[in-house]
Amino acid sequence: MSEKWATALAEFDAGPQYFAAFAARAADAAAEIIRTKSLSEAKSALHEVLRTIGAKKVVGTNSAYERWLKMAEELTSLGIEYFTNPPDIRIHAEDADAGISTVLFGVAETGSVVQDATAIEERLVSTLPPVHIVFLDSGKIVKDTATAAQVISRHFTAGYVSFITGPSRTADIERVLTIGVHGPTRFIVLAVDETI
Amino acid sequence: MTSGKPRNLRREIEEKLADEVLRGALGRFAEAYPVARAKAYENVEDIEALRDLIRATKLATVERLEEIADKFEAEAKRRGATVFRAKDGDALKKYIVDLCLAKGVKRVVKSKSMASEEVHLNEALAAAGIHVRETDLGEWIIAIAGHRPSHMVMPAIHLNRQQVAEYFSRELKKDVAPDIPLMVQEARRTLRAEFLSADMGISGANLAIAETGSIMLVTNEGNGRLVTSLPPIHVAIVGYEKLIPTLNDAVPIMRALPRSATAQLATSYMSLISGPVPAMVKRDGQWVEATKELYIILLDNGRLAAARDEKFKQIFQCVRCASCLNVCPTYQLVGGHVYGHIYAGGIGAILTAFLNSMDDFEKFNELCIGCRKCVEVCPGRIDIPALIEELRARVVRKKGLPFTLRTAFRTVIANRRLFHSLLRAAATAQTPFKSGTVIRHLPLFFAGLTKGRSLPAIAAVPFRDRAPRLLAKPAASRGKVAFFSGCSTDFVYPETGESVCRVLQDLGYEVVFPEAQGCCGKPMLSLGDKDTVVEVAKQNIQAFEAVNPDFIVTPCPTCTETLKDGYSELLAGDPAWAERAAAIGRLTHEFTSFVASRCQAISPKPSSGKVETVTYHDSCHLSRGLGVRSEPRKLISDLADYRLAEMKDSDKCCGMAGVFGVTHTELSIPILEQKLRNIRDTGAAVVAVGCPACRMQLAGGLDQSDANIRVVHVADLIAGKVGPKPE
Repeated sequence: MSEKWATALAEFDAGPQYFAAFAARAADAAAEIIRTKSLSEAKSALHEVLRTIGAKKVVGTNSAYERWLKMAEELTSLGIEYFTNPPDIRIHAEDADAGISTVLFGVAETGSVVQDATAIEERLVSTLPPVHIVFLDSGKIVKDTATAAQVISRHFTAGYVSFITGPSRTADIERVLTIGVHGPTRFIVLAVDETI
Repeated sequence: MTSGKPRNLRREIEEKLADEVLRGALGRFAEAYPVARAKAYENVEDIEALRDLIRATKLATVERLEEIADKFEAEAKRRGATVFRAKDGDALKKYIVDLCLAKGVKRVVKSKSMASEEVHLNEALAAAGIHVRETDLGEWIIAIAGHRPSHMVMPAIHLNRQQVAEYFSRELKKDVAPDIPLMVQEARRTLRAEFLSADMGISGANLAIAETGSIMLVTNEGNGRLVTSLPPIHVAIVGYEKLIPTLNDAVPIMRALPRSATAQLATSYMSLISGPVPAMVKRDGQWVEATKELYIILLDNGRLAAARDEKFKQIFQCVRCASCLNVCPTYQLVGGHVYGHIYAGGIGAILTAFLNSMDDFEKFNELCIGCRKCVEVCPGRIDIPALIEELRARVVRKKGLPFTLRTAFRTVIANRRLFHSLLRAAATAQTPFKSGTVIRHLPLFFAGLTKGRSLPAIAAVPFRDRAPRLLAKPAASRGKVAFFSGCSTDFVYPETGESVCRVLQDLGYEVVFPEAQGCCGKPMLSLGDKDTVVEVAKQNIQAFEAVNPDFIVTPCPTCTETLKDGYSELLAGDPAWAERAAAIGRLTHEFTSFVASRCQAISPKPSSGKVETVTYHDSCHLSRGLGVRSEPRKLISDLADYRLAEMKDSDKCCGMAGVFGVTHTELSIPILEQKLRNIRDTGAAVVAVGCPACRMQLAGGLDQSDANIRVVHVADLIAGKVGPKPE
């Protein structure tokens, strides 16, 4: 998370006390929440997810979490291709098995996470692959949409910000809820208690 | 549809009623929606406050719309967007087609934009040789089916999986099984190729935020993010009604829109786009990052005229959630296609009048039955039925009423003596009135007979002839009540008039019946004939002023509304009458709410020794119009004679709805049948109502199917059983 976002968030009521409500709402929206105490646990959890989905190719934004976890080396050692440059992501996101990125904060009222999607790689990794995995600092949860808007207003002047709430979905045929239309079929939140 | 052959609305309605797929889908949705919506609002502390906030914010915005539009334009430009203001569909289409030609755009992907459908953008692009694809699943389905959207949020709700599979098979030239997840995956594969190869993405916008020149997209499928991320050019089409000053102002809408539209706390993706962002473009065979081109089109197409209209600026409070359709009894039966243009339901009728044409409005505005269900759920608190009534009045002012109606209203109802003589004649010779051309258009109980509902007989002795015998002056009086009977009580249900008088007298009031009173005027008002209503209003005001009452009480909620507010609104601009109308309004009370606080049961035991099960039907005008729900229930349940059994959807319209029950019997009867099922399920022997029109409808239906269930006015149930509450 950039300095500016961190400063904006610090000015408002945010904290782990809202995590339980956030997680419950997110789960209602079919997001998968994995909470870990430490960064090293987060790494094992991520590997487990990638193993379960049989990932061969992954695209990521090379965020602070990804760098700390040395994803490039780790994934290569696991035999997974890992791309983080925008041109590579543009080529490989279409048939990558997962996209990885970091989100700014969560919203308890709705179970949404807020993503600064200004950079093109943020949008490519979160829209094209069938699985989107995000890192979230479990202490960075605001109570409601109103607070989220205040945080965004404080920092955001131009660009692209998304509230993401669970995976892509439709109910356009017979109102039957179907997960995974144009975007990811699975949306996995790796919520980490340890700050980076 | 502005062109093509003239429409036969009645036949279209018949077709929709016979469409079992549609009826099934809409019926299930009607059941599920209110429950899902209520659940979605569970963690909103105060829904009414949220709705107030949306209404206030949107009203404040429309008051200074030009200033906010200028601010939006300046901020969007400052961030590098190009802003174009399109006065109408032609200007918008020309701009986009020209842009495509200038930029060499061959392939376009679109995410949902009702505004683009409103102006038929896809046809214009196709005519210019540009390949264009809708990517919202529902929009894509109807595009390949060649249909129009039948719902603003769920455009393909009229189709079932088998039908969708047929369209998919035809489009993809292979056999696609009617399996929903599989079809969704087919759509994903097919449209993914479109996203990746498109030169331009066109989106709508759910909000346009002036302080940062941002647009906000609210979507579930993820197509909105792909349309605005992959192609190097993004065109956003924004109706002026989407403007809002700040992101903080947008919060109440961000909270209400998903909850009201799809019963979600938030949709999967809610994106805020402020100025051009990076995109990947291929140069010399290499992918490189480049700044996207962003074009924002502010579309007028009738919106600015509405914004300047004192009454119709309300349509800017619409957030396009379609919850008004979801609760509309007519929509639930026929779906969105009969509404002619792309916006369906009551709000659709109004939007069509402004954004398409008044002619289209005229064709289907009568599908609004004025039940006010939509008013209860609209996040922006738009009074849709009132706006429709106002539009009808404007049509009448401009074009006049059809001849027979005008004759009936002007020469008959405005002339009380003639009207009442005709009603008396009807009592002795009921038959001629079933076919006479003039009489057929008189207040609803003269309409043609229909299958599934009997018509009430005109009483042999109207209430006005019984009044002198009933209304002797008591020795002591709590005050003078002038009784306004309304036509139905006077001529169809005079015994209810007697019950009303009995109750009021038992409570210690002197009751008088001003003989010069006539029709309140509501039937003409709802058909837009304000001139006639002004005449009858003045006659009634004079009649009641003459007896100098302490209260005016009526057993009809529609008459109550008309006397209470209708007259003062109509006569507000007339200095000689404004205050007189307001004074009459202040004295007027609806019967059940008037007596509920003033009476109590006189016996703790059932008078006949047995307890009867009674179910209560909430009249639209009594419950939503006047806010009277608990009082009639209390009147019934306080008596030892009755056990109150609530029916399902007690406040859902019975289908009579003023003239609707007469002009659209084909729709009125299915609505009635639903109501009768709910009544039957309670096992009650009696249905109590607080509205003579509902009573007519319910009695007419029950007479044909369940003769053992009787329908009465609450006054009939309590007469003789209540006395004054000690002060």
